[in-house]
Amino acid sequence: MEIIKINNLRKGYKDVIAVDNLNLEIHQGELFSLLGVNGAGKTTTIKMLSGLTKPTSGDAFIYDYSINKDIDKIKELIDISMQETAIARKLTVEENIVFYAKLSGQTKEEVEQTKEYVYRCFNLDKVKNKTASKLSGGWQRKLSIALALVKKPKILFLDEPTLGLDVISRRELWHTIRELKTKMTIILTTHYMEEAEALSDRVGIMKDGKLMFVGTIDELYKKTNKDNVEDAFIEIVSGGDLNEEITF
Amino acid sequence: MKKSLSRIFILTKRNLLEIIRDPLSLVFTLALPLFMEILFYLIFHNLTDQFQMKYLAPGIVVFSQAFLTLFTGILISTDRNTSFLTRLYVSNTKSYEFIFAYALSVLPITIIQSILFFLVGGIFDTSIFGLNMILAILLSIITSLFFIGMGILFGSICNEKSIGGVSSIVIVGQSVLSGMWFPLEGLSEGIITFMKILPFKNSTMLIQNMILGINNSFNDFILPLLIVLIYTVIAFVAAILLFKHKMKEK
Repeated sequence: MEIIKINNLRKGYKDVIAVDNLNLEIHQGELFSLLGVNGAGKTTTIKMLSGLTKPTSGDAFIYDYSINKDIDKIKELIDISMQETAIARKLTVEENIVFYAKLSGQTKEEVEQTKEYVYRCFNLDKVKNKTASKLSGGWQRKLSIALALVKKPKILFLDEPTLGLDVISRRELWHTIRELKTKMTIILTTHYMEEAEALSDRVGIMKDGKLMFVGTIDELYKKTNKDNVEDAFIEIVSGGDLNEEITF
Repeated sequence: MKKSLSRIFILTKRNLLEIIRDPLSLVFTLALPLFMEILFYLIFHNLTDQFQMKYLAPGIVVFSQAFLTLFTGILISTDRNTSFLTRLYVSNTKSYEFIFAYALSVLPITIIQSILFFLVGGIFDTSIFGLNMILAILLSIITSLFFIGMGILFGSICNEKSIGGVSSIVIVGQSVLSGMWFPLEGLSEGIITFMKILPFKNSTMLIQNMILGINNSFNDFILPLLIVLIYTVIAFVAAILLFKHKMKEK
């Protein structure tokens, strides 16, 4: 079942087209990764789908709600974790979770349940009384993503979730994201090809605002005749030129 | 409406915690002005009327409010730059709820500042104590709104690096153009007129007159209040418009 339907979505700024006539369908329960180089239009796409920026033209439907007309209803169903670590730095981990849960309109009992749920998903109970600013970068990022779960969204947008993390923190976060896959639909953007390979059910490759490929990793290999995601990605975005140069 | 009020209350509580857990904010909003109040009184009160406690304490109350611009600005610029505001925006929180919450979260600090500086002032000059002091504390809430509005305005347009420098415009303005640190006699008419049309001297005058007693209700109270209110409204309208614009841009 398609829960996100994107129809001719376009976002233009003064002299740049960030997203160009994007058409895409995302299924319930899948983890869909948007890949692309800097400026490919991944983050802009996520921002349009989550109501943070309005499309120049076109529309997208999330559970049949239009991003142009019903964004307040959509916001009740989704949450987002941006590239930057978005936490209240002087609050403890527990205070961050309670703050965001209350802001989402949860009752006292629901807040308690949410705390347990989020602690369980991210193993945050061992640092719950620590001030957020005193956590390591990996834990701060975990908390930042954990806050996006507080609303128990049906769709979770993760924009570069492991950007800047060390290899151990990244692997830990992959493990958490894999577990989240069973609970919700996840749309993830990433620069890391191995991340997309490890986590995604399907990937979409964007270049200059256009969607160049949509499919599973196996389909990507088949289409490009490559056996690793990085080469396949380069094949798609550079038309093979860059691969040839490197091989040569 | 109920949901909106609830969100404002939750945001206010969080903002207040963020401010009071920053030791620097307590140093600059409470400790430093208190130190200056006592020091300047002890050194200069016999030399010039300017530093008698009934003038100095109200002046310090408004001077300390200038630092609220800095700390409100820092909070907002940090929230913006870390995408914390973006996250809250997805949670259906509206721009006006953010603005209300930022303003409300600073008001308890304003009230503590006024009470502290008047109480300490009253130890040196007991004539400060009385009904006028209570009215001056209430009035100081109104004068603080200008500084809070400026903080929201600067926080909406500055990043974490530039907010300190930009906010210092208001702190320097309050120091130099309020007339509390030096006598106005000898200044040119032009400079005095300039000071009179800006909010800094008028804010200080309002609180001082409330302690000293109002002789001419128009000149001593209504006119300076009107000028302060006009600047406050301008600051808030500009802050709301820029904040909304920045949120959309984000």
